[in-house]
Amino acid sequence: MPFTRVNSKLVEATVVPGQRMFSQRGAMLAYRGAVTFTPSIVGGQGGVMSMIGRRVAGEATPLMTVEGSGTVLFGHGGHHIHTVDLSGETLYVEADRLLAFDGSLAQGTMFMGSQGGVMGVIRGQVTGQGLFTTTLQGKGSVAFMAHGGVFELPIAPGRPVHVDPQAYVAHRGDVRNKLATAIGWREMVGRGSGEAFQLELSGQGTVYVQASEEKL
Amino acid sequence: MTHPAGGPVVHDAATLPSNDNVNPYAFSVDLEGQWFLQKGKMIAYYGQIDFHAIGHGPLDHLIAANFHSPLHASAWVVAQGRGKMLLADRAYDINSYDLDEGNLTIRSGNLLAFQPGLTLKQSIIPGFLTLLGTGKFVAASNGAVHFVEPPIRVDPQALVGWADCPSPCHHYDHAYMRGVLGGIRALTGLGGASGEEHQFEFSGAGQVLLQSTEQLMPEADTGGVPASAGPGVPGAQRPGSRS
Repeated sequence: MPFTRVNSKLVEATVVPGQRMFSQRGAMLAYRGAVTFTPSIVGGQGGVMSMIGRRVAGEATPLMTVEGSGTVLFGHGGHHIHTVDLSGETLYVEADRLLAFDGSLAQGTMFMGSQGGVMGVIRGQVTGQGLFTTTLQGKGSVAFMAHGGVFELPIAPGRPVHVDPQAYVAHRGDVRNKLATAIGWREMVGRGSGEAFQLELSGQGTVYVQASEEKL
Repeated sequence: MTHPAGGPVVHDAATLPSNDNVNPYAFSVDLEGQWFLQKGKMIAYYGQIDFHAIGHGPLDHLIAANFHSPLHASAWVVAQGRGKMLLADRAYDINSYDLDEGNLTIRSGNLLAFQPGLTLKQSIIPGFLTLLGTGKFVAASNGAVHFVEPPIRVDPQALVGWADCPSPCHHYDHAYMRGVLGGIRALTGLGGASGEEHQFEFSGAGQVLLQSTEQLMPEADTGGVPASAGPGVPGAQRPGSRS
């Protein structure tokens, strides 16, 4: 069910019987109708093995299941909220940025090293993503949080986008990302520009960037 | 008003908005007489404005008529004079509201200022203040305020206030403690509560004000109820009881 943006920090979702939603625990601000919130002990989809996978990967953000019929208002921590409608693509986003998503989306975790090996792992460290990141795939809507407003930058073949790792929020589509370094003698003597690392995203898709370098 | 290309807007006494927002985080009061405001929320003013502490001085009459919360008088002042006064609070979103022979209850920390046409009283719900009458008041919120109509259940931390509807009651959701897994959760805390098992429930006709996040603004002290208020007054301590 698509989210309706009420303002930049508040979204409204309609819950209908038979369609589950997942949301971060504590993100509900108000609701109408008969809606129940159940803490999901496995923290998302799949069985216990998926839960263990997420726990090991450090991508186990406390989630709750939202079921019933009615409307729910979501907001969290005063962060700006961005909504994305997926139609078959994959969204890569950090689990703690996820505010709410449709139960119709398949949730998974991806090892950063699977794209670029050791450099992928280093990239995960630099961006604060850690070794793993969460993927959501299928048809449905996602609402995620960012510090400051979010804007979308399209990525086209032959036109890669460079993003400050701290401002990177999420990306979707068929995108390769790698860490571009610009370390020279200035960085070695501590007189760097502070922009030694950039994420280079190439391929076909969209990258979501926040207007701030502050992590959540 | 000058608009340097891309630069900040420059205001002076004549171009500052009259009783309106300058930007989402600052409000300009066109003062002509008196306004009540919380201490420390005035950031700048033009004109001749005096700030009087409440409790003594020449404004006893006004205070007797409009300020019925003696226990947090120390947090409020009266601005008197003519001019433009700018109000702001830690870069929170600021909005003004008009009441017309109405009543509105608001979390004490969120209320910044009000016109003397309104009367301030302490709500019997601890931590909330009630405004009665006709006039304008200014309130801050963490994220823009969203108006909703009952029936609705609201996260306690997201509630800013409510108008014209009956006071809320607590709603406790037992579904999250149901079943075997619920029992384990209740006993061990394993898996955690959903954090949403407790809400305020509003019913009847009126308006409920929500802020866009459940992050509370720091509370302002509303003062307690005098111990002499006696039995039956919520918040009043019984003589001899300790807390």
